[in-house]
Amino acid sequence: MGIKITRPGIFTTIQDLGRYGYRSVGIGPGGAMDLFAATVANYLVENDKNSPVIEMHFPAAEMTFETTALVSIAGGDFSASLNDAPVSLWKPFFAQANDRLTFKKQVSGARVYIAIHGGIKAENWLNSCSTHTKVKAGGYKGRTLLKDDRIEMNKRISRFSIKHFPELKSIIQPVYEMPKLVRSIAGPEWDLIKEVSRSIFSTSPFLITADSDRMGFRLKGNNLSMQAKVQLISSPVNYGTIQLLPNGQLIVLMADHQTTGGYPRIAHVISADLPKLAQSGIHSNIQFKMIAHQNAADALLSLHQTLTTVKNNCNLFYAIHRHQL
Amino acid sequence: MASHSCFFKTKSLLQPIQAEKTSSNITPLGDSSVLLSFENIIDPVINKRVLSLHEALTKSGFKGFIESVPAYASLAVFYDIPTIARHTNSSPYSIIKNHLLTLLSQIETEIESVKPTIKIPVCYDAEFGADLHYLAEYHQLTIDEIIRLHTALVYRVYMIGFMPGFAYMGSVDDRLTTPRKVQPRINVPAGSVGIAGSQTGIYPIDSPGGWQIIGKTPLQLFNTSQSAPCLLAAGDQVKFISIDKNEFQQIHGH
Repeated sequence: MGIKITRPGIFTTIQDLGRYGYRSVGIGPGGAMDLFAATVANYLVENDKNSPVIEMHFPAAEMTFETTALVSIAGGDFSASLNDAPVSLWKPFFAQANDRLTFKKQVSGARVYIAIHGGIKAENWLNSCSTHTKVKAGGYKGRTLLKDDRIEMNKRISRFSIKHFPELKSIIQPVYEMPKLVRSIAGPEWDLIKEVSRSIFSTSPFLITADSDRMGFRLKGNNLSMQAKVQLISSPVNYGTIQLLPNGQLIVLMADHQTTGGYPRIAHVISADLPKLAQSGIHSNIQFKMIAHQNAADALLSLHQTLTTVKNNCNLFYAIHRHQL
Repeated sequence: MASHSCFFKTKSLLQPIQAEKTSSNITPLGDSSVLLSFENIIDPVINKRVLSLHEALTKSGFKGFIESVPAYASLAVFYDIPTIARHTNSSPYSIIKNHLLTLLSQIETEIESVKPTIKIPVCYDAEFGADLHYLAEYHQLTIDEIIRLHTALVYRVYMIGFMPGFAYMGSVDDRLTTPRKVQPRINVPAGSVGIAGSQTGIYPIDSPGGWQIIGKTPLQLFNTSQSAPCLLAAGDQVKFISIDKNEFQQIHGH
């Protein structure tokens, strides 16, 4: 018993927190674009944080449940509805056989995550269920979900009252506050760009263009330039690396980025701000703010503290309410 | 991948690395990674140092170590800040940086194992080598001369990157050094052998690409059903062997 996809949506895939240990052979981590939302989605339904989830964009997939399921929706707000009745974000809910989950409107954010209590069955490739569409491995047959695909659930569950599930929005919201402001730190080639370019980078807005995807966000803004022409030989890059292209424009490498590159790495989006950048859709403006390296590490630790708080709240709820089963 | 198991390395010989000092520089690569860079050049001695460091790091591990990524003349170390923070009060970056510096000083006298040469059959037929004629004209060489020059040398795999299993090899004979295509192709078929600058490489999967394509290997360089999905690894020695279309079909069919 599982979930049947009745409408595919745009680039709907199964993802987990990523595939690590293979960058040295050219295989990047991939994984959910918004790792925070994917993790929270799992905690909300008492799953392990690395349990595979469904990642969707707008227009989103539509699906029908074939059995009772405890479901959570996290990330962007696509006005999710179960049989046309709205369901809350960042909160678990029960779906029953023949219930239809649909997404009417893109209210905010760019990516939505769906987790199911007990997890969904997905193909594990190199210790991860993330879908690698390029080599067609992992997730659901290594590809995006299509109409009539069926996703199997690992566990059966019976309904119980989740009326008293804690309100976690106030804990979660700060992660996505000031969506346009993206904190960054200097990259290895920061000192090689012109001083005026460094000032443009941290004071002027950049538009996320339509040819942005899970590999990278291509930005449009004032031209930046190097002090002198340099030819860099290929060197490692990361999720959040901001490269300066030969045409003076920037690209931010996202979850499905290549493992190495040859363009100057002028800066990096800090890990703690990748969730909100991942939730910035095409045609939205962002602005970079340079911060100190140590502050970036502190911001990441504070993000993890938030995750721990969410996890503890969820676990406490299930510990108490499981007795009622 | 059983069909090309005969091309795999079977034993390792030992050869000392030149002990000369190379200058290096350590910078952050984002908040969760450290980048160590040597001189921005393609050089086997520097690359050996990078790979020795990669090996030493992978072996030593440390609490919070995720992975290390070697490139031509640089290496990135990825780490998990929360894990490191649980064990110490110092900044994770400075801990990793010091660890790298210690390892770097220790590998001065390290030795790199020299692997036997992996032979890769390539069919240099115009059907597979879409840029063969361009290269011939560009360098004023015959096709046979191009094949002879490309198959004459043993190449070093400097790094794997760009896409899963893509091996950057070098350096080709000066007479074959050719700039990338101005307009990259939308699709280069898997197995295509190409040249970009002084580098040579093989596309492991169908992909867009701008390298000058001179032939195709019937071997599968990347296979998702294997636990080690890539045929080539950084540090490998590769020699290309010219085969005709019949031989190509025979190996391909297996």
